[in-house]
Amino acid sequence: MNRTLLIARREYVAYAKTVGFWLSLLAFPLFAVLGGGIPLLIRSAEPIKAVAVIEEGPATTGLAAAVRASLQSDLDRQNERLREAAEKGQAGAGRAVASISGPKIRLVAAPPAIADATGPARDAAIKAALDKAAPKDRRLDAVVFLNRVDGKPAAQVWTARATDNDVSSFVRTALRDARRTELLTAAGVAPAVAQEVQTFRPEVKAFSPNAASGGEVSMRDRIPSFIGLGVGFLLWSLVITGASILLNSVMEEKSNKILEVLLSSASATEILTGKVLGVALLTLTVMGVWGGIGTFSLLSASPETAAAIGQVLLHDGLIFYFIAYMVGGYLMYAVLFAAIGAFCETPRDAQTLMGPIMMILVVPILVMQMALTSPDAPVVKVLSWIPFFTPFLMSARAPSDPPLVEVILTLVGMFATAALMVWIAGRAFRAGALSDVKLSWKTFGRAITGRT
Amino acid sequence: MAALTLDGVNKSYGDFDAVRDLSFQVEKGSICGFLGPNGAGKTSTLRMILGLQPATAGRIEILGADDGRKVRDRIGFLPEERGLYKKMTPVEAISFFGALKGLPVAEGKKRAKAMLEQQGLGAAQKKKMKELSKGMAQKVQLIASVVHQPEFVILDEPFSGLDPMNQQGLEAMIRDLAANGATVLFSTHVMQHAERLCDKVVLLARGRKAFEGTVDQARATSPRFLDLEGAITAQAAAALPGVAGVETLSDVDGVRRLKIALSPGAGGQETLKTAFLNGLDVRGFALKETTLHDAFIGLTGDHPDQLAVPAETAR
Repeated sequence: MNRTLLIARREYVAYAKTVGFWLSLLAFPLFAVLGGGIPLLIRSAEPIKAVAVIEEGPATTGLAAAVRASLQSDLDRQNERLREAAEKGQAGAGRAVASISGPKIRLVAAPPAIADATGPARDAAIKAALDKAAPKDRRLDAVVFLNRVDGKPAAQVWTARATDNDVSSFVRTALRDARRTELLTAAGVAPAVAQEVQTFRPEVKAFSPNAASGGEVSMRDRIPSFIGLGVGFLLWSLVITGASILLNSVMEEKSNKILEVLLSSASATEILTGKVLGVALLTLTVMGVWGGIGTFSLLSASPETAAAIGQVLLHDGLIFYFIAYMVGGYLMYAVLFAAIGAFCETPRDAQTLMGPIMMILVVPILVMQMALTSPDAPVVKVLSWIPFFTPFLMSARAPSDPPLVEVILTLVGMFATAALMVWIAGRAFRAGALSDVKLSWKTFGRAITGRT
Repeated sequence: MAALTLDGVNKSYGDFDAVRDLSFQVEKGSICGFLGPNGAGKTSTLRMILGLQPATAGRIEILGADDGRKVRDRIGFLPEERGLYKKMTPVEAISFFGALKGLPVAEGKKRAKAMLEQQGLGAAQKKKMKELSKGMAQKVQLIASVVHQPEFVILDEPFSGLDPMNQQGLEAMIRDLAANGATVLFSTHVMQHAERLCDKVVLLARGRKAFEGTVDQARATSPRFLDLEGAITAQAAAALPGVAGVETLSDVDGVRRLKIALSPGAGGQETLKTAFLNGLDVRGFALKETTLHDAFIGLTGDHPDQLAVPAETAR
């Protein structure tokens, strides 16, 4: 095995053996599952509440029916979502969404002990029905009294738990709809028209000549932009995590006096390349595992979206542009961080130069989001030409088909800068590894020009 | 046949000349001590020999190559400041550095185990480097630097930080390396090791070569000393044959301790005989052999431990 690969393997194994690596490998998917799954589980496991609705007096006639109609409307909408999801082959995702968004209320007949009683006797009957100790078949979760205040629909909601707002929210929405229908009817609008106004949801379709269909814009047309932005962020994470690992690794070897031994066994270029490669493989492992889990989840939940993403990546060789930007971007920053590490023995030593570099790295994060909506905005285009920003911003812009000449020239600029950085970093690394002087622009400059 | 040749080598750091016009040779299969006080330019020279730093001027040839980097697989190097990966075991560390020098990993592990056993570190094989004592770690690092059986071994201050037992063990290892045909160049400012081990010494002072030759030749550069004690005056001692100089070390009620520097070639026997024949009141005497330490002081004008140059410029 050649020296570069040996160093890369050692670098990889050294980190892969640590607990921190496995924690970071598993933490993200675990938190994704916990963050998304637990609320879903809680919501879907929530019991359906038994609610009794009572109209108080003749003036309230029809309000209970309005509440029932509102509940039925919610159920119809939930069924519609399930049907649409099943048609798209996304039954799993549809069920998940439906389990969260569906109403968790069941209207039951009011017990006579409550409906026929008044005053303290009625209050006692309500408390008895809401009590946990009540027999299950006679126990209620909420009792709603519908009335009118100043002629407008109103309600008193009794719930078993003081903090339960679900029933109140549902009743509030139902009564608001009922009031709207009442007002429209009073204004001479036919009840059927009022109902239509109530349930109307406009269908707005977007069209663009750049859409895949040549007209109507679909989710498939939006996927490339999201992928570009995602790749930009992924590269940013790769640079931040990978370069930080490299910086710490070199710094540790410098402080442990290992670099000089290494330099007597391998060239500075071999050491630098081996380290950069080892850490790149390490971060790619992490991202590969995350990507694998993500792909598997997407294929299970929405195979259509997964297929669309695959098509987008293969369309016009987009994936190769992404790979090129990733390689160039990672190389530029990784060798720079490694060279800085060769001059430092403690994190404090590195802070002086890390600050400006981190400030530079914030710029693409801000501009990338702009590239999602306006990929050809002048500020995005101009910043894309700066080699240190090219990999992030061009990744975000690539799906919007920027001019080919721009793509080629920015790639050339980026790789030329990456080659320059490798050369500079190689010299600085060798000088820094053998030097006891503190890192400063002066010592860095002397190292690069070979005046050490 | 020379395994190493330095010819008019210079190394400057900015305005500071760390090494000036250095020329010497090391014969194949010999042990050469590279001596000099701290900051004399030893580490800079060793790094230039290895090709880790370029020489400002001059020519270096090692194992027939004009750049140490071209023959790095045939060289073993132990740096002055030592360190190995703390989380590796000794076997892993030795085989890794052996592999970097072209030794197959499996063979490296096999040799590492055997060499560790040989050095009494068999029980430490499976421990992490961070769990080893400084002496043990230093032995492991030395093994790591020679596991690939190099033709040329460069050791930068190999004895520093070791207890006497480990120093003795290290001396034995260096002798073994030379016995097996390797050329050894080691730097030190502790003269006793050089005196016991070296076929040849090169003495460096303030970046310049102060001496090159055998240990005996080095000793010969410095006079032998005769210590006399008795009611003798410095003038009377100075009149004795073979005396080059006299220094009074103490004088208590007319009983003096005199340090007499003998002339080159003088053995001291004639001086003592004449002193007794002349009736001088000699109550005690000691004839002192010249050590390399004495030669060092004589050649450099400095104590080996004292000639500090700021670390930054010494690199």
